Amino acid sequence: MLEDDVAKLKTEGKVASYETFNANGDTSQQIAQIRAMMQQKYDVILVDAGSSTALNPVLEQAVAAGIVVVNFDSLVTTAKVVRVGTDQVAWGRMMAQWLADKLGGKGEIIAMNGPAGVSVSEDRWKGADEVFKKYPDIKIVANVHSEYNLAPAAQAFASAYSAHPTIDGVFSQGGALSAAALQTLVKQNKTLVPITGENYNGFLKMWAEKKAAGFSSIATAQPNYLAVIALEAAVAKVGGVAVPQDITVPLPEITDANLDQFVKADQPDDSYPIQPLPQNEIDKLIGK
Amino acid sequence: MSERIRNHMDVLGLCALLAVVLVTYQRLDPTLLSPSTITILSAQFLPLILAAVAQTIVMLTGGVDLSLGPVLSLGMAVFVVTAADGATGVLAAMALALAVTVAAGAANGALVAYAGLPPIIVTLAASFLWTGVTLIVLPQPGGHVPAGLVSAYNLGWYGIALPALAVVVALALWKLVRTTRFGLALYAVGGNEHGAYASGIDTRRVKILAYGFAGLFTGLAGIGLAIQTGSGDPNIGAPYTLNSIAVAVLGGISFFGGVGRMRATLLGALLLGLLTNLLLFTGISTFYQLILQGVVLVVAVAVKTLATRERTA
Repeated sequence: MLEDDVAKLKTEGKVASYETFNANGDTSQQIAQIRAMMQQKYDVILVDAGSSTALNPVLEQAVAAGIVVVNFDSLVTTAKVVRVGTDQVAWGRMMAQWLADKLGGKGEIIAMNGPAGVSVSEDRWKGADEVFKKYPDIKIVANVHSEYNLAPAAQAFASAYSAHPTIDGVFSQGGALSAAALQTLVKQNKTLVPITGENYNGFLKMWAEKKAAGFSSIATAQPNYLAVIALEAAVAKVGGVAVPQDITVPLPEITDANLDQFVKADQPDDSYPIQPLPQNEIDKLIGK
Repeated sequence: MSERIRNHMDVLGLCALLAVVLVTYQRLDPTLLSPSTITILSAQFLPLILAAVAQTIVMLTGGVDLSLGPVLSLGMAVFVVTAADGATGVLAAMALALAVTVAAGAANGALVAYAGLPPIIVTLAASFLWTGVTLIVLPQPGGHVPAGLVSAYNLGWYGIALPALAVVVALALWKLVRTTRFGLALYAVGGNEHGAYASGIDTRRVKILAYGFAGLFTGLAGIGLAIQTGSGDPNIGAPYTLNSIAVAVLGGISFFGGVGRMRATLLGALLLGLLTNLLLFTGISTFYQLILQGVVLVVAVAVKTLATRERTA
């Protein structure tokens, strides 16, 4: 998606060249990469942060050196860079509220969270926890942490589920976690209780398949057009547009009713299908 | 004379490689030898150098420390949650963080020495344990490091590259330790434990001390990383476990203990760090960079092994 936008901006003469670096989850490596970019005098740095705090000093230095820095997806805590993201607390709140309503404010649930010590996971859970606190009859019988990957999530869910087979629902804060939970229920031929989700295609496919059997869910997305918005914001900022420092992109809502527009039967499980954001919406967000 | 040269071949080879990398680097980044670049690069390399020093000490005893990354994170976490503004506050937090990491290291050492458990198992278990403890201390990225310290460390303090100075002091400290009875005994225990025991060395005490010193240097690496990044992150240490082993191996430290020099580890760390940076300048895909790093490691170990074989022949 980002590549398409780069190609478009190149033909418009707004981007001359573009390089991608991957830090492979090593934050020290990401810091070194940003340093190298500063020394090579790039005009714009787009960064998906490996740590919410550790990149602050280097990014602030890049800004001080006159580089336009736009951070997207996983956000840093410094306010000196332009940040394009979604509200992760609202994410957790949206999922939890739907589940609470679905259960009529009463029942036992398993919570599936991301890895401990990761801001995204902590923030989504914070939002969910706020909601669940309002429903004293909803009992969280297990709070599971897992990588945002199908295999470890399936193991984590299976052990929690075998200890609590009578649950009424699952709060999940990531698509692979939701897919793992749903898959386990389907495999063991158990009641398909409501499970909150994300636009992870593997989950969407299963949801679409089991909808007739009474499975119900809600999903949102960390839309991959965040990178496109980040790029557009950076280019606009270099061009003199007063781009806001914090761009909060609204969370999409995928429900039983509009699922068909999102699920992509012909695409692999690990894709994250999303409807592209119209250009006028992007322009509105970046203050054009 | 030729025996002398051969003994220094590892170090000389690394120096030659490092020189090539430095010259190439200088061509791509003419500011390489300016004080600000030295400050930035030394801040970047300090955690890896100190982690590799820690790993080297453990490897000299014939062990391996798989808990290094988690203990590094632990030291970082303790430092950032306790650091208050002002010199006393920072020093107290450092002392506390180091006390914790030294204790963590010494605990590994005690289990290896007294329970006779294999180091790889002990430190593997410790890696899980300390990851959990770190998450309790610092559940998500954050914490506090005085802003003045962060900028002095990263941007230079009256023109002095503090991280480089810290590395020099740490290595001088190790040099001093090496000259003590413990320093000699370390190589003896790593080279031939039974022989060392038979000649009256308290091998258990040596092992505990060695793991304790490893904890000390690991803690220093964590504190350095905290000051570099201005915060703590409970998961940031993980890559340092394997990277420190890679550096030690590159520096010619033997997995079987008793063989290797700290200066070679230092050269290995600089080489690996500069090489990674150099590849960033060339703009080749990170995937190829990983492949190249793997190749460099295998070649380095292969050359070393072949050289040693010649020696014994």
